[in-house]
Parts: sequence; structure tokens; C-alpha cells
Amino acid sequence: MAWDVAIIGCGVTKFGHHWDKDHDDLLVEAVHEALRDANLELKDVDAVWCGTFYPFTGVSGNVFSDSLKFFGKPITRVENYCATGMDVVRNACFAIMSGVYDIVIAAGVEKLMDTGGRGIPFIEGVFSVGMPYISAPGMFALAANRAFKEWKWTKEDLALVAVKNHYNGARHPKAHFRREVTVEEVLRAPIVAYPLGVYDCSAVSDGAAAVILTRPDIAKKLGCDYALIKAIGMAVETMHPWHRPSETFLSFPATVKAAKMAYKMAGIENPRKQLNFGIVHDCFTITELINYQDMQLCKPGEGAKLIRDGVTTIHGEFPINPDGGLKSFGHPIAASGVRMIVELAKQVLGKAEGLQVKDAEAGFAHNLGGPYSVASVAIVTKP
Amino acid sequence: MASISDCSVYLPVWRLKRDEIAKATGLPSLGGEKSVAHWDEDSITMAVEAARALKGNFDAVLFASTSSPFKIKQAASFIAAALDLDDVFTMDFSGSLRASTDALITANDLVDSGRFSRVLVVASDCIPLKPGSLYEQYYGDAAVALTVEREGKAKIAGYSSYSQPLPGAWMLKDEVTSFDMRLDGMGYGEAVQQAAMSLFKKLGVGPKDFDRIVCSAPDPRSYESLMRSIGMRPEEFFFDKVGIAGTVHPFLLLASQLERPGRILLGGYGEGVDVLAIEISEPLQTNLRRMLESKKEISYGDYLYNKGFLGSREAHDRPSLAKYWREEKSILRFYGMKCRNCGTVSYPISKGCVECGARDDFEEVKLGFRGKIYTFTIDYLLSPGNTVGDGAHPHCVAVVDLEGGGRVFFEVTDVLRDFSGIECDAEVERTFRILFEKGGFRYYGWKVRLPR
Repeated sequence: MAWDVAIIGCGVTKFGHHWDKDHDDLLVEAVHEALRDANLELKDVDAVWCGTFYPFTGVSGNVFSDSLKFFGKPITRVENYCATGMDVVRNACFAIMSGVYDIVIAAGVEKLMDTGGRGIPFIEGVFSVGMPYISAPGMFALAANRAFKEWKWTKEDLALVAVKNHYNGARHPKAHFRREVTVEEVLRAPIVAYPLGVYDCSAVSDGAAAVILTRPDIAKKLGCDYALIKAIGMAVETMHPWHRPSETFLSFPATVKAAKMAYKMAGIENPRKQLNFGIVHDCFTITELINYQDMQLCKPGEGAKLIRDGVTTIHGEFPINPDGGLKSFGHPIAASGVRMIVELAKQVLGKAEGLQVKDAEAGFAHNLGGPYSVASVAIVTKP
Repeated sequence: MASISDCSVYLPVWRLKRDEIAKATGLPSLGGEKSVAHWDEDSITMAVEAARALKGNFDAVLFASTSSPFKIKQAASFIAAALDLDDVFTMDFSGSLRASTDALITANDLVDSGRFSRVLVVASDCIPLKPGSLYEQYYGDAAVALTVEREGKAKIAGYSSYSQPLPGAWMLKDEVTSFDMRLDGMGYGEAVQQAAMSLFKKLGVGPKDFDRIVCSAPDPRSYESLMRSIGMRPEEFFFDKVGIAGTVHPFLLLASQLERPGRILLGGYGEGVDVLAIEISEPLQTNLRRMLESKKEISYGDYLYNKGFLGSREAHDRPSLAKYWREEKSILRFYGMKCRNCGTVSYPISKGCVECGARDDFEEVKLGFRGKIYTFTIDYLLSPGNTVGDGAHPHCVAVVDLEGGGRVFFEVTDVLRDFSGIECDAEVERTFRILFEKGGFRYYGWKVRLPR
């Protein structure tokens, strides 16, 4: 079955520390921006999928209904770790593809700064009695230390990712961190989870994003500019990778499988040739390098070479994270995956708010969650 | 009578110099150093550490301690589970510094009567001490485990006991106290003589028939002056290396004698004295030297952190005791599963194989003690036993491939701020520790450390 779901409206709040706003405010802002973009009103919407990960903002379908005063219609709350956002869009796509609804909203919101503390809040469910606790940067530091051992990658290689993404993010008006950084600054930063330092970690941010989806024929009838979702692949692996003997920590199987699925659906055999750019889930600098490999942009072990050679900079052969990525744009968990879809749509329509990838016609976005256990990959093109 | 056929000592890795205590508290230093437990150790975990090195099966476990963590809840049953013993008689001896020698005498009688064939006697103490108190410099943390059975290199020839409620140190609530240590020393001398006289009479011997006499004491000087008064050479007392290890002390002194054949008199002091005549026919090797040499220095501040006087420990909100009970085989006994379909050994035991998905087709296998670090991190967002970090006590964790199969995610313990040696492919060994404390309960399980 062909996907061809049309994105006709996009809305994103500024990502950052919104001490003066709660999740309702952010959601309302993003959704109404998307509606304005599509020239529609809330009453035109048939159904809603809304993602939010942490339970202190998540009250099932009411997350959306009471914020927007949108009553009497179907609303589904979605959660899938940090990959919640793209899974919201995937589920909303099926509603359009089935023909049951004409216009749906896929939205994600997260209000992390209201939790206090550093990093993201502790997820109890992941830890069984007897298992040590580990933070999110800790989980990815396990990959970094093994990659350092196996492939002789260095902290300098990781720093190049931060430098590139901050360069891009500094030029996006809605990004959380709008400041360039140098390799020296990144290397000097305090350690969060060895070997990852503060500048190897994405921002902990508040924010919301929303897209309005419909069928291409309706989009044409409405006279909207639209981008097409050609595929979303998705895979869930074990939440205890550290207990699975075959796990290499040099590749995330969920990403590999989701990418294969999406490439197959969209008829892509060589992503580096058939697509123009990509957005990867750079929750940590090491993650971006491993993602290059898992997304088939290079062979295993060559991720660091790609960044050293400048292949993935905005002027490179295959720009990655032209928006600044999670690293610089910020990472309000459930909003991120939806925002990636927004960025893909704006890039292929030539309307990027930050740096515009030259001649962008087709791109991918990759969203990763949990202990690398949940991954989604979307392909978006010009109609 | 029975024999001691094996002996294993456990000393925590940390040593605190008494000069460090003196510098911080202003009290005069008694010199030397004492052994102190890591934050995740108590008398139960140290007992397991000492006992797990002993070979063979046991049909009884006798645990002796003055610092058992629970007021209601037997420690011996926890220790038996961690040692993966089944159908075993368990019993705790507590409340007295001579609980250990009481347990040894009881073990002797249990074996001698034919009631049990191999008895594990394990003494362990980690006495809570108030910072700045007199006894802070005296007591150290240690555990010693003995195998008691019919035949062995160290034969118990006889024993005697003299009971005397006063004087001596006590703890009514939470502080070790004594009326006057000079009075304690006087009472000690009297009690040893009374107990020994009665044993000599039973066996028809005198002090000259013994090659060496070792006896725990309220302080090292009391022991030394007693020896001089009867014309014997005092043996090493370990005050400057370990401190007085609570009720473990007599066993520590015994361990120091086992490698030299001869007839020894062993005394355990506390509310009187137990004395045992022990004949060592041939050298019985112990790990005491290795434990004394394998050590790291700790500052007084870090010692206060380890003992819970500094910093905070905040475990997650809802640990489930029901889950802990259901998964005892994986958590305490440390079994994994071997898939009959693909042969993968994995941890923990679950309904399906993590590699091939085969359901309910596996055998339970005991996982190895040593392994190699596949990967690791030092996580500053968390502190050990906490769901948050203080930035000063990072949480070191490692993915470990165990000998014989099985990959397990472990906390790396016995580290504070120095993580040298922890790297990919480094060797580590399992160690039984406190995982965290919550809701008034202490959850135990396995971690790893660099081999000692």
C-alpha cells in the first residue's frame, strides 16, 4: 500500500526553557500555528494523535482536549520513549491512509523543565530489582567507550558533531541553543557520563510541535502547498540491551531495522544517492556517528570519517541535521519526532526557517528512544 | 570433637588511618589504620564475601555478629540463599562480642553429635560508630568464615566458657559505650584465667602445653599485658591493620595462626570468655595476607560518606518486595538461563530466550564469578544507590561477559573517585552487596569489582 500522506500544516514553538508556560500553552501555540499554515480551523479536524512521554504531563486523551478545548472527537495519546513524536505521526498516517478521517492532527509536547533536577527524569519501569540504574547519557556512553576501543574513535570526533550541529542550530530562530561552539570548548566541558561531556549531550528543553495531515487529493482541493510522507518504518528491540549477548553497542538494531523498512517502502536502495539530506536523532554526539552507519550512509566504523571529512555539514555532500539537531535545537521528548517531520516538510518545500539545504527534494528523519530500543525512520519528499 | 578444615577472611578494601580521624575530630590518634566497609557493605554482605570462597556444600549455616542489619529477620537465611545453599539449617548468634566463639563451640557440638556433617560458621561485624566517639578508632570491619566438620587440619581438642555480665563495652541504643576501659581490662584478665583454668583441668594440661595463645580483648594492651603476665609472647593482634573487628576478632586471630602447626589456645572475649584448645596438625592456608595487602586508603570525609553521615541516598520510590521474592533465583542465587534451542546463556531467567525467542525451553544455570568488561561508563547524573547524582560520587556501571556465558549489567563497586583499571576488556569479579535501601528494607544483590 502506498503511503503518500500529505503534510499541509506545520507548527513548532521555540524550544528552550519555558519557565512561564505550561504544556497547555505550548501545545496550543504549536497546533494553532499548524492550523494557520494549512488555512484551517480546529473544527475542520476529525481526529487527533498526541504524544507526550512523561506521566506528569500525560493525562491520556485529555492532554489535548483540555488544552485546545477540543471536545467530542477521537484523541489518542501515544508514548514510545524519545521516539514518541514520530510514532504519533506514524499512527496518524494510518488514519488518513485508511480513509476513515480526512484531516487529522499529529502533535507532540513535553514540559521537561517542570520536573526539576538535571537530565531527564528517572524511568522506574526500566529498572528491575538487582539491575543498576543508568542515566540516558550513561546508556549512550556505553556505546562510546566500546566504539573508542573498537574503532579508535576519539572525543575529538564526537566534538566535531557538536560543533557542526551548533553551527546549524545557531542559524535557526526556534532552536534552544543559538550559539556556535569550538572543539576546544566541547572538550573542556565537565563530564556527564564518561566519556560524554556536557557538550556531547542534547539540550533538555520544553517545546511542542504539530502537523496537519490529509490525503494528497484533499490537499490539492484545499489549495495547500504540501510535502509527502512516503514511508515511516518502526522497530522495537529489547529494553535490556546490556543483557543481550549479541548486542555490540556499535550499532542500534532498532534503527537498522526501521531504516530498512522505510527504505524498502519508499523504494530507496542507496540513500546517499537517492535522498538529499537527513535528520538523525543526535541525543548524544556518539549517537549521531552510529546513526550514520545504521542509516546506511557509510560502512560500520566509518561514521567518524564522515564527520571528519565534512560530508554531513550544511555545505557537504549529504547534510545531516541542518536544523541543529536535538543537540542544538533542543529535545523536548515527544515534540522532537514531530518537529523532525516539520523540518523535512519545510526543507523539501524550500521554506526552511533556518539553513536551507540546497535543492532539497527528499530527505529522511530518524527518531530513537529508550535504551536504543525504539526507532522510527520517515521519508518525506516533494509531491 | 570436630575440626576446622577451611578458613576464609574478608576485609573490605578501604583502610582509614587513625591519624586522619584524629585530624578531623581533635582526639589523640591511636596510630595505625583500621579496615572500613564500603557504603554498600554490612555484616550480611561481608559474611557472604568471606564464605563464598569456601569449597563444598554445607548443611548448616551459623552466623555470628553484633551488627546484624535487621532486628527482626535472620541474616543466616539471606547468607545461605546468596551462597545458593538448599535444605540448610540456619541460625544467628548475636548480641555479644563472643558470639563468634559461641557459634564455633555450637558448630563443634552439632558435628560432634552427628547432627550435621559440614557446618559453615561465619562471623561478620560492621559496627555502627559515632563520629568523634572513643570507639570510632577501636573497631574495624571484617568477616571470617570457617568450615567445621569431622576431619580437618585444625582439630578442636576441647573448650570451656566463663560467663561474666560486667564489665565491658555495650550498646543500648546507637553508641558503643564503656564505663572505664581500665575496669574492662581488669575484668578481661580475670575472665580469661577463669575460662582457661577450667579448660586446663578438663584436658589435664597447663599454659606451657600451648605453643601460642590468641584471645580477643577490649583493647590490644589488655591482651599483651595478660600474655606477659603468664610469660607468653603476645601474637600479632592486628589493631594497627584492622582494628578490633567486633565479634570477628577471635576468628581473625585464629586465621593468623592456621598456617603454622602447633597447639593453640583461642579465646573469644565478651560477657566473659570462651576458650578453645585447637591442634593444628599441618598448615592450613588462608587468604589473610592477601586481604591485608589488597587495600586502598580512604579519607575521613569519604569514610563519613560511606557510613551515611554525609550525602544522601535516595532509591527509587516503589521497589517491589514481591518481585524480589519471585526472582530470588536470579537476584540472590544468581542463576541465568541456557536456551535449549540456540544454546545462549542469558540473564535474568525469563519466559523466553533474548536471542532466539524460544519460549519455556531452557535450563537454569548458575552464572560465573569472574568476567570481562565489554563496555562501561562513569555516570555523574547518578550516585550509587541513588536515582539522582550529587556530582561528587559518580555511579560506575559495566556490561560484563561472565565466564561460562551470560552477559550482565553490573554496578562496579569499591570505587569512589579513582576509576583506574576500569576499561573495556578488564577482568572483574562478582561481589555480594547492598543494592539500595527503601521503605525500611535492605535490598541485596550482586555487583562487580576489580579482582582482589
